[in-house]
Amino acid sequence: MKYAFWPGCVARGAAPELYKSTLAVAKHIGIELDELEAAACTGAGIISDADPYLQDVLNARTLAIAEQKNLPLMDICSTCIGVHSLAREKLENLDYRARINERLAPEGLEYTGTVEPRHLLWIILEDLEEGKLKHLIRKPLEELKLGPFYGCYILRPERVLGFDKHPHRRRSLEAVIELVGATTVTYDGMTKCCGFPILTSNKKNSLTMTGTHLAEATDKGADALVTPCPLCHLNLDAQQADAAKVVDRKLDLPILHIPQLLGLAMGLEPEDLGMNRHVVDTQPLLEKAHIL
Amino acid sequence: MPQQKFRISRYDPVQDRAYEEEFDVEVTPGQTVLDALNLIKWEQDGTLSLRMSCRHAICGSCAIKVNGQSKLACQTQVDAAQDRADANGVIAIGPMGAQTVIKDLVVDTTKFMSQFERAQTWLQPPEGQDPPQREYRQSKDSFDHWSHASSCIHCGACYSDCTVAEIDDNFLGPAALAKAYRFVMDDRDSQHDERLEMLSGSGGIWDCTRCYMCVQACPKDVLPMDAIMELRTEAIKSGKTGNHGTRHSKAFAGGVKKRGRLDEATLPVLSAGIRPGAIPELLGYTPGAIRLLRSRKLFAAAKRHGASKEGRREIKRIFEEVEDQKHHDDMDAVAFETLHEEALKAH
Repeated sequence: MKYAFWPGCVARGAAPELYKSTLAVAKHIGIELDELEAAACTGAGIISDADPYLQDVLNARTLAIAEQKNLPLMDICSTCIGVHSLAREKLENLDYRARINERLAPEGLEYTGTVEPRHLLWIILEDLEEGKLKHLIRKPLEELKLGPFYGCYILRPERVLGFDKHPHRRRSLEAVIELVGATTVTYDGMTKCCGFPILTSNKKNSLTMTGTHLAEATDKGADALVTPCPLCHLNLDAQQADAAKVVDRKLDLPILHIPQLLGLAMGLEPEDLGMNRHVVDTQPLLEKAHIL
Repeated sequence: MPQQKFRISRYDPVQDRAYEEEFDVEVTPGQTVLDALNLIKWEQDGTLSLRMSCRHAICGSCAIKVNGQSKLACQTQVDAAQDRADANGVIAIGPMGAQTVIKDLVVDTTKFMSQFERAQTWLQPPEGQDPPQREYRQSKDSFDHWSHASSCIHCGACYSDCTVAEIDDNFLGPAALAKAYRFVMDDRDSQHDERLEMLSGSGGIWDCTRCYMCVQACPKDVLPMDAIMELRTEAIKSGKTGNHGTRHSKAFAGGVKKRGRLDEATLPVLSAGIRPGAIPELLGYTPGAIRLLRSRKLFAAAKRHGASKEGRREIKRIFEEVEDQKHHDDMDAVAFETLHEEALKAH
């Protein structure tokens, strides 16, 4: 199995543990990744504030590069999958597609609409045989209670995310938590906004959101949260101490990336998954899971 | 007839008591959640309070939460709600969010409704002119562009699910902002720039988190968040740029133009801008930066990973072409029209 791999900017920046663990788990499962070195940032819905057309061109280009390689496209970020999927919907309009392809032609690229961007989280559940997956889970995390934290764009708007064809995607995180043998802890905040998009513009609101979700998950008994979004991870993990002050609570909840969760259950070394690169210490969690 | 279990979040204002109660209802295919709630009220417990009127998804009275998502009870079939029932097949029913509960499923909508007044969502034609003999006429192009936003029935489903309204009364919220958008884009209105100035301020368009809850919740395909995003583009184009949101967008794009990727190292500084509040804003990042330093994340961000050399060259070319093209051709409007068309087609 081979995929065109778009890591997104944060996995190549402030969340290096996501990049590292993705490569480690892919290698372990036998997935070959062709990283899209020439592709651009999705714009994250921020470039489009000033210039939506420009953002659409950048994403059409990424999709077109994957098409040229004739490979399925894998994202590892909720924001990336959302922005790619939204661009793809607009590009269904053939007039608009033509106006976009004008910008890609000088490079010899053309977006034709054949590629479907998918998140690693979905790919694990959709492309791998269940038997093979279960066989790979050598160290089930039976001791752990884990809360899902989706990130907005892997859930909404549903119309662009293939939920009609793949209804299981609504509960993909719960499915992966179950797959690794852990117990799912559900709570209201798990499908809400982490607060990251307004961290620099309205810090109080941003950290109120972060702190409220972390406190709620803690109260429901979660040992850690799992997220498919490195931007959520930045707020939930790196901003956790500040969020605790804003909601006036003591918080100590490790936040795992999807490939870290899979890797731990597959028996990979915590260090190879970047477990030592978190702001909230993951050691007590690893001890509880009898990994350390 | 199959039995369906409903778990209703109730509130008794006399005893100030919040509690949950389960009811079994015999449902027939095609019945709506409102039908089921009425059966409960009429046949099992007459004290259950809810709002309803038209039963045709027009009046906007019966918005409630079904399995945690805001919906019109009259527009949601029990069959569809079963898809998202809990592991035991129970459908959860509750009052709308972001508002105070008066009793059971009835909330106080005063705060929600007051946001329209704050956003001045009515037509303001040019002053000092005699009104026209007949109506104020508008162009078809103008109407076609924003007509989806005029479908709002003020049910409050979007406000109920809004992740900002839930924690901040100052936020105008998706419905009022979508209505404001409709007047900003209306070519009969005289307050285009004044509206954008006000909407760019506190509680306005830049406080939205872009969580898409409102787009998902809206029973009328108003696409509120997309309206808020278009207001941002329109505000920047109209020179309302003295705000964090604009600086952030420009700085973000500037980094991508240079390296092809997000530049985490310079973005906070450029977003803060050169202004009196910039220093305290940047100092506010210090504890977070120290934590990132300890986990060696700051070094990872400071490495400023970029696209490949060929990639950077093409990305820069695209930025330059689009910047140049904007002078001749308003592609932003085309981008939003395409979005409206494709999004509404999907429903």
